[in-house]
Amino acid sequence: MTVTSPNVPLTPAVFHILLALSSGERHGYGIMKQVETDSQGKVSMGPGTLYGSLKRMLDAGLVRESDKRVDPEMDDERRIYYQITGVGVKALEAELERYRRIVTIAQQRKLFPKSFAHDV
Amino acid sequence: MMYEQEIVHIVYKKLLALYPQTFKEQLGESMEQTFRDLWNEKQQTKKELFGFVLWTFIETAIGIFREYLLLISPGDIMQTILKTLGSSTLLSLLLILPFMIMQVVNRRNFNEGFPFVLFFVMWLNLFAISLILLPIVRGRRTADQGMANPSATQGNTLLTNPKSAVMISIILFLFPGIFPLLNSVGWLSMDRLFNGPNPEVAYLPGQILSFSLILFPIAAGIIAGGPIVRTLRAGGSLFAHPLHLIIVLVISFLFAAGLVGLIVDQWPCFMGVPNCD
Repeated sequence: MTVTSPNVPLTPAVFHILLALSSGERHGYGIMKQVETDSQGKVSMGPGTLYGSLKRMLDAGLVRESDKRVDPEMDDERRIYYQITGVGVKALEAELERYRRIVTIAQQRKLFPKSFAHDV
Repeated sequence: MMYEQEIVHIVYKKLLALYPQTFKEQLGESMEQTFRDLWNEKQQTKKELFGFVLWTFIETAIGIFREYLLLISPGDIMQTILKTLGSSTLLSLLLILPFMIMQVVNRRNFNEGFPFVLFFVMWLNLFAISLILLPIVRGRRTADQGMANPSATQGNTLLTNPKSAVMISIILFLFPGIFPLLNSVGWLSMDRLFNGPNPEVAYLPGQILSFSLILFPIAAGIIAGGPIVRTLRAGGSLFAHPLHLIIVLVISFLFAAGLVGLIVDQWPCFMGVPNCD
């Protein structure tokens, strides 16, 4: 998986994980909850998808394991935390830039729900 | 509830053990912890636990399958699989097309329905053969074009290891034989299992089961062909894994024999002989 190249768009799962980690280190469950919050409940990631993507991201150097510590908001169990790397930040920025360009094109072409409403 | 929770967690841990070794070592503990967190959340919010457990187990099982697929051919696995599936589908369809045309052109009794099942079975046989052999042909072509990659043989999982691949392949190949075996000792009625309680009426579960059983030898052929493909991609010889090659050839031969048998049997119908069956 060529997730490190800024020319290649990120998969939705990788994008959401990077976005979740951009605001701070999180453990697996924390990432899931943050993704749900960021997407207003529209994206729900299961453990298979989350950790499959994390494996690829760890291999590509987009994220790294931070440390193992207790989450004060949860119980007293120690959890492994993940943090975004410099490469991860660049990949996220490149993806957001791609989104920005697409939104600009959509604005230029007036492709918004209102314009669709006119057609209907 | 505590007992139930413990059982589910133990089973989930067993499921996680099926992940490839490197994945398990790197992320297994974290996944287990996340599952416990999700369980606690569902319990606290008094949400449906059965649905959650079922969804998580299926989703994780799919994840395990995906990891193995990625290990078989790192990088462009999905592209390779889709390419092989697409080529096999098209090639098989093209090869049975002349027979379909013959059937239509020479058909005498126009009240008779078109034998879709016959052509589906013919297509399936050809599809199986090309699905097993195409990756090997492509692997050989890669080597011939000087695009061999010595790292293509890397990886040591159940499916990439030649020894375990051959074992899995043999087990899968022999698995459908369990039904006639159980039938012969009287532990199972094959007739009832495949034809249902009323043999006069089409029995969908039996048809699905028959179709599923055909997939076993196909999977066996693909798995046995895996080490051959990787060796070819790495610039090695086609005969580097003779046992694998024999399994591939035997399975391909069986599908080819099934196809030839069907063609011979149905030849009069293709030629327009009246009242053929």
